[in-house]
Amino acid sequence: MPPAPDTPSRGSFPDDLALHGALSANVVGFCRHLRDRGLGLGPAEAADALAALGLVDIGRESRFRLALRTCLAKSVREQQLFDDCFDRYWRVWDRAGELNRPAPDPEAGSPGRDRSQPVQMSLREWLSAGDGEEAEEQEETAGYSAGEVITHRDFAGLRPDDLEEMGRVVEELARALARRLSRRYRQLGGRGRLDLRRTLRANLLRGGELVDLAFRSRRPQKLKLVVLCDVSRSMDLYSRFLLQFLYAFAAAYRRLEVFGFSTSLRRLTPALREGEWDRVLRGLSREMPEWSGGTRIGACFASFADAWAESLVDRRTAVIVLSDGWDTGEAELLSSSLSRIRRRAFAVLWLNPLMGNPGFRPETAGLLAALPHVDLLAPAHNVAALRDLARGLGRLERGGVRRRPWAGRAGPEADPDPPPPAPDPDAPSSARNLRALAEERAARRKG
Amino acid sequence: MPSPETEGLQRQLSDRGYIAGADICLSLHLARELRKPLLVEGPAGVGKTEIAKVLADLLDTDLIRLQCYEGLDTSTALYEWNYQRQLLQIRMEEQGEGSLEQREAHIFSEPFLLKRPLLQAITHHRAPVLLIDELDRADEEFESFLLELLSDWQITIPELGTIRATHVPHVVVTGNRTRELSDALRRRCFYLWIDYPDFDKELAIVGARVDGIDADLAAQICRFMAGARRQQLEKPPGVAETLDWARALVALHRRHLDSATIEETLGLVFKDYHDVTHVKQSLAEFLESVGVRPAAAPGAAASDAAGS
Repeated sequence: MPPAPDTPSRGSFPDDLALHGALSANVVGFCRHLRDRGLGLGPAEAADALAALGLVDIGRESRFRLALRTCLAKSVREQQLFDDCFDRYWRVWDRAGELNRPAPDPEAGSPGRDRSQPVQMSLREWLSAGDGEEAEEQEETAGYSAGEVITHRDFAGLRPDDLEEMGRVVEELARALARRLSRRYRQLGGRGRLDLRRTLRANLLRGGELVDLAFRSRRPQKLKLVVLCDVSRSMDLYSRFLLQFLYAFAAAYRRLEVFGFSTSLRRLTPALREGEWDRVLRGLSREMPEWSGGTRIGACFASFADAWAESLVDRRTAVIVLSDGWDTGEAELLSSSLSRIRRRAFAVLWLNPLMGNPGFRPETAGLLAALPHVDLLAPAHNVAALRDLARGLGRLERGGVRRRPWAGRAGPEADPDPPPPAPDPDAPSSARNLRALAEERAARRKG
Repeated sequence: MPSPETEGLQRQLSDRGYIAGADICLSLHLARELRKPLLVEGPAGVGKTEIAKVLADLLDTDLIRLQCYEGLDTSTALYEWNYQRQLLQIRMEEQGEGSLEQREAHIFSEPFLLKRPLLQAITHHRAPVLLIDELDRADEEFESFLLELLSDWQITIPELGTIRATHVPHVVVTGNRTRELSDALRRRCFYLWIDYPDFDKELAIVGARVDGIDADLAAQICRFMAGARRQQLEKPPGVAETLDWARALVALHRRHLDSATIEETLGLVFKDYHDVTHVKQSLAEFLESVGVRPAAAPGAAASDAAGS
């Protein structure tokens, strides 16, 4: 449809009714094409796009493209998708050299679908099929050094017919925990600012004499979570449950971002929110083509620190790493990038499934490099551990967790912000405070 | 080459010292013509907020700005009753007649209403530019509230009733991506991503915004900045830093960049302790990598030699 770049437009496009009709049909077709790719476009957006095209010189391809992009792509990710689709869709017309052809089959020519097939298969096997022998075999490969790992039977030691049951338990747990974590509670102890509006209302009948005071209690901010989940081969036996846990958690907790990493880092949050778990799994396998590959934790953390830390991690964000710490990359890079992440974060927690093993000691090179920059190292190998995790998060949010029980500070400058003080259980409640204040005022008036 | 409808806009913008590429011009043009809110995202200091200011200037209208932060509520964003005045009024009417209802209706009438930015924007005597800055910092609840306003252009105040917009304002929403804005809000807006400018664009910006700058110095600064943004930094410097730095160097009468000057003024460019130490430690390498050679500045080289 758009002429080759920099060809002057042939007359005024929209004035030509026939052309205009074809254009509208194609713009609508293009919207549908984009919608199939996951952009949330409705008739309103298509109408915007058509209106916008009426305002620019669509004879120039760059105008045409930018106008559509402004109306249809609503985030950086969508802009990338748009760019991918634009050429594929509109070049068809270039080549055909005519306008009035049916829209191209949106299913045709989409790479990625085929590529994702094998991964999807292996994921499905994970969840349902996999027989005992295979599980045994996987457990063998779950760690590089069999001697240190082999003795525990947790998520990794489940029999195939337990898998589904376990999935349900994990999801239920995650929902319950997320609900608890996202519940707002009133802060005790602090009195908050005087709420003039409510005070005035309450005292209207007293002719404006302020007797009863109303206070505004600040609603505490919810903790934000960023989860970096290791989906490399050595984590296979755990990541299925951890991801299912995160999936259910994400459904009930908005302030959650999830990334997967093995040899590279991928943002999984949108895929996790895609509906049914089966669908989510398909989405995840599409997002993570290198699933079950090797591990380069350092490189992945570095790319997280570069691309995401600034926008997603702040002083109210807990960064949670789910990994066994088996790293085939440089330990130095792991250490430096984790320290960069930690400087921005409220806390960094490292959950290690291998910690379920009673003989566990943080001995892998990756973990040793990471430890100085980790506030809490905790197990995540079974349901009990996941429950503890969520409980720990609740405490963390209320400021009750001692940071960094493992190691000394990396440097004097590493952490300028002290942890928020724990709430004092003996502090008077706001109700008592209020009453005291009212009495004091009444006494002063009399005196 | 820009096309006619945005060419004028581009010129108007550059007349006001805002150098904009085709993408920015086109998005602004469409948002203005179709009266859709424009959602602008991008790294810090690339001129997101500036867009709203310059738009207000060229539309010759007022700019109403709402700075968002966590905990922003409707009494700060929308309206608040003027309690002090209400109290005074109640005092004054203590002996007065009038029923309680009458008195209440009086003190909850428009003269006692304090208009906050959003209410100001929709009751303004002409369509203003409404800048909702850093919306990602506000809570999700506020975002949902805003959504309602952006679609209906009316506000309900319990004591007064519904107030409808006299003019639909030009809305610019900015975000730093500290959290993802909701899809519903994105759907309501046109979207514009502004990245760090490339060398040519930044040079044009410096030329337009910094009076009396030496062309060589400007080029050196821009090359330095482009290089700095390729480094792994906590807070990569934005255009705002470039301009501050350029103005400072002009005020110091520097004609060239050299390592001594850079070290003295490093704090203007890098706003993070680790970045400053990182750059300081590897300044020579760093200068090499961004193509600023201390030797290229004859005067500085001589003084360097004398100093050491």
